[in-house]
Amino acid sequence: MTTTERPTGAEENLVTDEAVAESIAKYGRDIYHDFDINDPVFNEKFHDIIDDLVEKCPVARSNAGSGYYVVARQPIVRQVGQDWKTYSSAKGYQPDRPEGLPYLYPEECDPPIHDAWRHALNPFMSPQAVAGFEPVIRQDCNALIDMFIDRGECDFVTDFGAKLPGWAFFKNVMGVPIDDLDKLVESVERGTFEPPEERPRYFAYIFEYLGNYLQDRMKQESKGEMVDMIAAGVKYDDGEMAPFEDRLSVLVDMVFGGIATTTYVMADGMGYLAEHPEQRQRLIDHPELIPRAVEEFARVFPPVVALGRSCTRDVELAGTQLKQDDFVMLCYAASSRDPRVVEDPTTIDIERETVLHSAFGVGPHRCIGSNLARTELRAVFEEWLKRIPKFSRKEGTEPIYETGILRTMKDLHLVW
Amino acid sequence: MKVIVDPEVCTGHGRCWTNAPDVYTLDSNGYNAVTGVPIDVAPDQEEAARLGARTCPERAITIVED
Repeated sequence: MTTTERPTGAEENLVTDEAVAESIAKYGRDIYHDFDINDPVFNEKFHDIIDDLVEKCPVARSNAGSGYYVVARQPIVRQVGQDWKTYSSAKGYQPDRPEGLPYLYPEECDPPIHDAWRHALNPFMSPQAVAGFEPVIRQDCNALIDMFIDRGECDFVTDFGAKLPGWAFFKNVMGVPIDDLDKLVESVERGTFEPPEERPRYFAYIFEYLGNYLQDRMKQESKGEMVDMIAAGVKYDDGEMAPFEDRLSVLVDMVFGGIATTTYVMADGMGYLAEHPEQRQRLIDHPELIPRAVEEFARVFPPVVALGRSCTRDVELAGTQLKQDDFVMLCYAASSRDPRVVEDPTTIDIERETVLHSAFGVGPHRCIGSNLARTELRAVFEEWLKRIPKFSRKEGTEPIYETGILRTMKDLHLVW
Repeated sequence: MKVIVDPEVCTGHGRCWTNAPDVYTLDSNGYNAVTGVPIDVAPDQEEAARLGARTCPERAITIVED
């Protein structure tokens, strides 16, 4: 048996027989020994379940599929996320990964291949670089609002939230023709959130489209965009250039990460402001508070619920013995609500000064688009509140959520 | 007061720089440009530097009091 350095204070196990009985009474299952990220009850009682995991359980177990472990407390999530040598991404980020799906780089690989790609990609996604996209993002916010403002209502998700991140990404980062945007964005959404058996055909479309696009860009002169760098490829440690399949997988990874996730933070944040007019007025009167609100929305409305790693060796983690090839899910959503590091974590406070969260992951695989996402979210709330300062949820409507390794929202009907 | 950024742990979240742009500097990757050595913090920047350290999701920043 081998051990790694353990975080202090995060190993306390409060999973008593009473806790298990309470879990079964509340959720219909023992979330500590029989967790399932795809159980509808996880969608319905999302915050209750992740708060119980954080409070009581250092390492939870799932028997779904081939089985996996779940860590929820921030010090343990950080330990696993940072220790890529023990907890590898090379076998993918989802449990029971569909067969035949190519690994998406750099998300599903380790150093040194990971670092070769990240060093080449990072400059296109740095705070300095995304600041240059901001004027176009603001224009797009207003162009979308123009389409429905006179109606006095919209479905925020369909009419705005699902469109803006795709526009921002494809226009600024990928440079794909604008006429292709709708189908691509829709395919990414459906490839992510349709039932698993439906997803491959959307994946196939995206791989085909982006494969052709990458081939085209390889023949063209570089415009200095991220896609040109991907087309040119990087050199691996063995001196060989990355093969075309790897370049395409990088492009697909960037596209999936860049689109479907930001929508949820935006939508639930807007839903919160619809139902909290006093908080909304605070942001209108003090727009300088919007960056704080964005961090708080990312903390409490996390689109990436949990991503996984595979153990490269037998290892003890927070009191649980894991074996080589065991799969561990890092529950970022829960980790952002850990009272060990966040004061009063269950309260939404848009003026919170210290917002420490794990919404963009932790360790070398930190979301490469985090700076772009923050810029989009800030632009959205600033522009929206200028144009539509008063709005509320349409009477008789309820938001609909879907949850698995990602969480999303459908049907947010707003009126003004 | 000084701050030290651990080069092995910084992964470019940029929270330190956002909260204290006069203390932390970023390289072209968006990661801390100055790591592994103490960075002097001016008295009027101490609060911002601490906030930058507190909001680092990686816990990459150590505060060294004078």
